[in-house]
Amino acid sequence: MKIEFDDGPVKSMLYPALFFLVVGMAIGVFLAFNAFVFPDYFSGEYVHFGRVRPSHVWSVLFLWLLSAGVSYFYYFIPRLCGIPLWSSKMAYWASGFWWFSLLVTTASYPWGTNFGWEYAEQPDWVGWIPVKPIFVLGWVLIVINCFMTIFNRKYKKMYVSLWYAMGALIWTTFIYLAGTYGINMVPGGISRVNVNFFYVHNVVGLTFTPLGLAAAYYFLPKIANVPIYSHRLSMVGFWSIAFFYGWVGAHHLIHGPISQWLQTTSIVFSIWLFIPVWSVIHNLMMTLLPHWNKYVESVPLRFIMIGTMFYFLTCIQGPLQSLRNVNEITSKTDWLVGHAHLALYGAFTSFAIAGAYYVIPSITKKSLWSNSLANWHFSLNMLGSVPFLLSLTIGGLLQGMQWASWAQGTTYAEFHKNLSVMPFLETVADMHVWWIIRGIGGIMILFANLLFVVNMFNTVMLKPRETA
Amino acid sequence: MSEKNVFYKIEKSALVTAFGIILLFSSAIIVTLIAPNYVDQTWIKPTSDYQVQMYEVADPNIYISSLSTGSSELQSVYRLQRDFTLLAFHEAETVRIVAPPELEKYISRYESPTLKLTSRLMMLRKPQKNGSFDAEKQADTLQQKLQQEWAQKNPKWEEQRLQKPAFDIFELYEIEGNEAFAVAATERILENWVDEDYTILDEKVNQEYHDHSGVIYVNNPLEYRVTHYTFGGEEGWRYDPEGEVVKGIEELKSHPLGFLSRRELIRMGETTYAEEGCWYCHSDQTRTLVQDVVLNGSEAYPAPPSSANEYIYERITFPATRRIGPDISRVGVKRPSRDWHQSHFWSPKTASAGSIMPAFQHFFDYDPRGTGKKVSGVPNVKFEAVFQYLMTKGTRITPPTQAWWLGKDPLQTKEIIEGKKVLE
Repeated sequence: MKIEFDDGPVKSMLYPALFFLVVGMAIGVFLAFNAFVFPDYFSGEYVHFGRVRPSHVWSVLFLWLLSAGVSYFYYFIPRLCGIPLWSSKMAYWASGFWWFSLLVTTASYPWGTNFGWEYAEQPDWVGWIPVKPIFVLGWVLIVINCFMTIFNRKYKKMYVSLWYAMGALIWTTFIYLAGTYGINMVPGGISRVNVNFFYVHNVVGLTFTPLGLAAAYYFLPKIANVPIYSHRLSMVGFWSIAFFYGWVGAHHLIHGPISQWLQTTSIVFSIWLFIPVWSVIHNLMMTLLPHWNKYVESVPLRFIMIGTMFYFLTCIQGPLQSLRNVNEITSKTDWLVGHAHLALYGAFTSFAIAGAYYVIPSITKKSLWSNSLANWHFSLNMLGSVPFLLSLTIGGLLQGMQWASWAQGTTYAEFHKNLSVMPFLETVADMHVWWIIRGIGGIMILFANLLFVVNMFNTVMLKPRETA
Repeated sequence: MSEKNVFYKIEKSALVTAFGIILLFSSAIIVTLIAPNYVDQTWIKPTSDYQVQMYEVADPNIYISSLSTGSSELQSVYRLQRDFTLLAFHEAETVRIVAPPELEKYISRYESPTLKLTSRLMMLRKPQKNGSFDAEKQADTLQQKLQQEWAQKNPKWEEQRLQKPAFDIFELYEIEGNEAFAVAATERILENWVDEDYTILDEKVNQEYHDHSGVIYVNNPLEYRVTHYTFGGEEGWRYDPEGEVVKGIEELKSHPLGFLSRRELIRMGETTYAEEGCWYCHSDQTRTLVQDVVLNGSEAYPAPPSSANEYIYERITFPATRRIGPDISRVGVKRPSRDWHQSHFWSPKTASAGSIMPAFQHFFDYDPRGTGKKVSGVPNVKFEAVFQYLMTKGTRITPPTQAWWLGKDPLQTKEIIEGKKVLE
């Protein structure tokens, strides 16, 4: 028996998301040049770094990554449950609220609407539009829709992607409410900071991670046409994420003004994060290992595997960065910017891109418009990623070492002399070369993903070409 | 239960998953988010009485505006409240005070070691003849007496070509009503603070803070008066000791005076700091690292690391994840100059060579260098707000008498980083 799936909801989330992938990257490239390579070249109230940065973050994080993730929920949850989505109509309403609120939010930052908390910049109101409540409404509709589908499912046994999906839906709801509304319910000062970093870390760890892994766990076996290596291992990964991630937010404030015992707690749990990470990586790698020839043949598989490698790197960095002595050097430098991009761009964007390569031909029932364009996309993307990520990592490390050099000596006079020999601004000037390399890498990545979006656009809009 | 009921269909594994996730997650929330507020007192307890009084007593009662219409100079006005604001009437070498007999006890005489404070509502003015007490005459007598004394001390003053000093003599008088506006000497960043050799001459303790280990007070307040005028089509005003009395808080805050309390400015500054995204580049925490206490320290002393309770009066706090520009947690001590910030916000690249900070020219209505539309540059309220917000950073940890920049750091940061004191 063949079930007819209504893929309209998938399209309503995925198509705009693809567009905002390049928009967000373009804003990123603009910032890389206008704020760092040629600082303040375009100057003024509406274009300076502080006003535009949140637009970049919200474009790539929410308009692209989160939206793409939700579209894949709409795609694979019905297919794994063996029934159509509970309510397509509800999904369209949710998409409407979603895009309206997120678009207004993201576009409003240059006009000064920043709420002031990292990753929670969304204001309650933009003019007379209550963007935050609308976004919450949209999300709640998505949650209800997905859960009702899962509750009514036909297949008894739940595949791991469903577990991750359920986790992401529940966690995100709580995290979002805590980070945006709950934050104003605790006393001002460091309590709010603590809630914010709880939110910041869990948006990455308990929203984007399960979202990305759900996609990777679904698309990898589908594209490669092989079963997953171990269902049990995937469960180990899932439950350890559920247990560990909520505890680690405070590691953003190591050496900072929070209680030592809380810092230590967060460090201990951060180290334990090796468990879910390695189990996921082992599982994904072992799934494809016997069929490694497929890596060469399929672009989306390459994206999943490269994403896995980036996930591996970022998750080695993560726990190590939380160690006090490593943190002393890396924290507050571009190393962290590199780390964030490694996770959200390197790993999860790769998973999401792989998903698009699989989902779009599937829902349009056409073959991909151009395979060679897809190959170019992958290669240029990789070529751009290396200078982009390495420059941030190395540059950040070097700047952290320069700062640490102020601590050489035994008396305050010596420390202070170090600072006058190498003032703060000199360590900024030394970053310039790394920022140029980052900018060049960024342009390559932007160009590669323009090719990707053009390819997707043509797949959807044009007739399939005869020769493939 | 009917078969269509949603919950009937949920089978056990889905329920267990949802329950398990919520359980694990809420345990994390309880331990890492809720518990610290109860376990660690520094998260809610202030750093010092000075911090409390700065935020709760001084900030809401000091009002700031331009000195006059179109001016970039600032005017600070104290709002004095009966039985609340502590006042000192303190003589100095060339400043003397006369008062009717019943008020004489409130004057802290020159060279007297004890500072006398009161929350009775009084001010100083030019001596006047008023009812039974002829302050004008008394002031003249005192002037002559002081000058004679001086002449005796400097018998050869004519040969040495010294000028006979003119003493500033004020009359102390009591105000009717419960509120008044005054000008008094102020640093704008720190307030007058006394924690030894002082006495409060009130019959009872009027406010809780009067009982603290030290108090903030207003020294030698003079009534604040303004003159309104119209010039061309423009309404204007200026400070004028002979002008009209400001009738109330509404008049002070309304057009054209346009005063805002320092508390309002600090909060606006916090919001502006958030909206402008300053916090993406400037962290607000001196970490417990040698490089941080050195970076934020002064020539002679390291800055103490940030403590949780420094932030308790903020609605948004910006510890930040990236330090593209310098840290701001001690900027009130490192860069206290309003002029410096003015030129720096206008053009950071010129003010500090090598800076990559964007220019914030929308913090000004006119070019402060005088090359723009108007002759004098006028920083607008955004600048004032951000400036006042920044000036709270690092200046309120301890009273100015025990400040870290004087080497009186209670944490002994210097001893710790030099290895002379070991942390437990």
